[in-house]
Amino acid sequence: MNLATILEGHDTDRVAVIDEDTSVTFGELQEWAASVRQLLVDRGVGADDRVAIPTGNESMFIAAAMGALGVGARVIPMKPTNPLPELERKLASIDPTIMLVCSQAAWTLDHADAVPCPIVDMREVRRSVADAPPIVERDPTDIACMMLTSGVSGHAKVAMVSHGSLLWAQEAVCERADGGMSADDVVLCALPLAHIFGLNVVLLASVRMGAKLIMQTRFDVDDSLRLVREHGITVLAGAPPMWRRWSMIDAPPGTWNTVRLAVSGAAALPNEVFAAMKEQHGVKVEEGYGLTETCAVVTTSRGYSLKPGSVGVPVAGIEMLLVEDDGSVVEAGDAGEIVVRGPGVFSGYYEDAEATDRSLTADGWFWTGDMGVVDDDGYLYIVDRIKDIIIVNGFNVYPAEVENILIEHPDVRGAVVVGGLHLDTGETVIAHVLGDIDTAELDAFAQARLSRYKCPTEYHLVEELPVAPTGKLIRRELR
Amino acid sequence: MTATVSTPTITTDLPDFRFEEAPDLPGNESLSRYGVAGIRRLVHKLWDVTIEGLENVPLDGPAILCPNHLSFCDSVFVPMSLPRRVWAIGKGEYMDDWKTKHLFPAFGMIPVDRSGGDAAKAALDTASRVLQGGHLFMIYPEGTRSRSGNLHKARTGAARLSVQNDAPIIPVGHIGTLDVQPPDQFMMRPGLPVTVKFGAPMRASDIGDPNDPRTIRPFADAVMFEIAQLTGQKYVDTYASSSDTPDAAPTDVQTPKPSGPTTPSAGPGPRPSSIGVPPGRISVPRPAAMAGV
Repeated sequence: MNLATILEGHDTDRVAVIDEDTSVTFGELQEWAASVRQLLVDRGVGADDRVAIPTGNESMFIAAAMGALGVGARVIPMKPTNPLPELERKLASIDPTIMLVCSQAAWTLDHADAVPCPIVDMREVRRSVADAPPIVERDPTDIACMMLTSGVSGHAKVAMVSHGSLLWAQEAVCERADGGMSADDVVLCALPLAHIFGLNVVLLASVRMGAKLIMQTRFDVDDSLRLVREHGITVLAGAPPMWRRWSMIDAPPGTWNTVRLAVSGAAALPNEVFAAMKEQHGVKVEEGYGLTETCAVVTTSRGYSLKPGSVGVPVAGIEMLLVEDDGSVVEAGDAGEIVVRGPGVFSGYYEDAEATDRSLTADGWFWTGDMGVVDDDGYLYIVDRIKDIIIVNGFNVYPAEVENILIEHPDVRGAVVVGGLHLDTGETVIAHVLGDIDTAELDAFAQARLSRYKCPTEYHLVEELPVAPTGKLIRRELR
Repeated sequence: MTATVSTPTITTDLPDFRFEEAPDLPGNESLSRYGVAGIRRLVHKLWDVTIEGLENVPLDGPAILCPNHLSFCDSVFVPMSLPRRVWAIGKGEYMDDWKTKHLFPAFGMIPVDRSGGDAAKAALDTASRVLQGGHLFMIYPEGTRSRSGNLHKARTGAARLSVQNDAPIIPVGHIGTLDVQPPDQFMMRPGLPVTVKFGAPMRASDIGDPNDPRTIRPFADAVMFEIAQLTGQKYVDTYASSSDTPDAAPTDVQTPKPSGPTTPSAGPGPRPSSIGVPPGRISVPRPAAMAGV
């Protein structure tokens, strides 16, 4: 077995990807990937070597990644642009054997001295080659990809995911009797490929099913809707900020008619965005929950009745529990840390045994660091990141709860709540607020709606809030 | 939620009492009517009982009383400070004893067999029956007596009952019961002061969307915060356990300093239970593997 084989077996004349105005068929992609295999073998790259691929959303990435996987190497997808110090830090943590630079990341070529390995410009790689080396056999537990986590919870960690895990997660997404993906689908790929959601749930799942991928180089709400109309997009996946923008656009009639599968992931979808998509555009956005460390798949709302605020139920094959710190399962209806086990769970963090031991048990349970609640019907609701919980006089304050109250004020455009040290209470609640508002008025607003221990004791008006592209608040930047 | 805060009334008088009939619930009505009246007068004669915030207890309709729990006699002083009858869950074993089988139900105890697999559900169903009938129900949110003297993390049963039955929770804090009946003592020492404080009614909708299960835990925590304000106890975010020992620095000033061990102990965690995920998706992790995390 080898993850690279998902590119094989499709009708070679079928269009696999459309980049801007260029179509690439499955046959062309297969030859291109074979050519990359030849290049890597010629350079001595083989099993478990690390191939860094800075890339935008472009067909070239598929050739580079499938070529690297085909020789047994590990793929590390990277953002197309990185501030140079960040690029150096990331490369130091993955220790790449070789770097394949896709066209949208071409600036990297000008900084070869910052890259500690050979660099190849993918634009100069031949698109076909005679007698290329075959795809090598791999074990399902062999590492296929190393994902740079977004590091929302701290320093960036590199999650290793296996061929078997990624394949299982694709299967969980695609091959469902109640409506997965098929070769007839047209999929918009607007999510970044350096993120597991864009990589595995959108791009690799589409390749596997032989669907047609429409690449959007850089997310732009108007342009994405043009692509939806022109190509008759049937599968639309996005992060909550993208769904928010789609929900606010007054799209021409019929724009959404072809969309049969709308999926949100990477962060919690606000209820009002869900409602706006459903009521104004007739699109039911399905939500799931997953992490890089679970190949993006834990729960799904697909095939179940949608409950606002819930991220659905565990997909078949996933075991999920809510536990106390000591590993005992919480009482029914109570909140606890989400722990999961199943074929999609990652293999550990690269060269970080300590972080691996902290989150992954010997028998495969992954402690997600997320707090959740399960209702009587088995639906999961995400409460908050455990590390973000503020402890005031022994009482737990969930920042999301306080933030949700603050943003109810009409003059507040955004809020981030973090803990600060306090001599008497241990920690105290500090609010960073985006908006033109008198803090005394906001304090009165909060006091009327929150228990006293949850009320912020400090308010800071800020010009902008630290938000990751996925829509997740990066609270640690304000601590 | 400062809007609900106001200065509570304080009284040492025996509050007026209205006997509400409840023939559908366990307990002999006549024994209850006359027995409760007698015991109330006796309690207020034998002890120096002060009641604060009685106006917070509704005179009609359902409500859930959530007291802190330090002594066996909490189950005497809180009910006997109320203006209405109140019901609570009690051990099914009391029904096997001739001394208690008639008396306890007359005082509001509803026996529930705790040996069965679905004991918790049976208890909550019983509580719902009381609340649906428009009566008061009392439940200790800590689940068991606090051996540490601290106020412990709440079980979520009361919060869920409140949402399911649209009944407010009245936080209750009492001081002095541990002196009246220290642990393992059968007799209650007369003549001592006991204060029972009733806080303002609380609802899950004060915290968030009552239909969102994420509201339950913060609601249960907020109730404990209000109880802590009433008693002055230190809050600890662990469940009360029978293996806890008295805290080195109990904050309940009327609680005697223990002469025994003073090391605080969190005790074992709660018993594993189902979380309501469809069958086939649950398994309990092996403790050995979890211990290293």
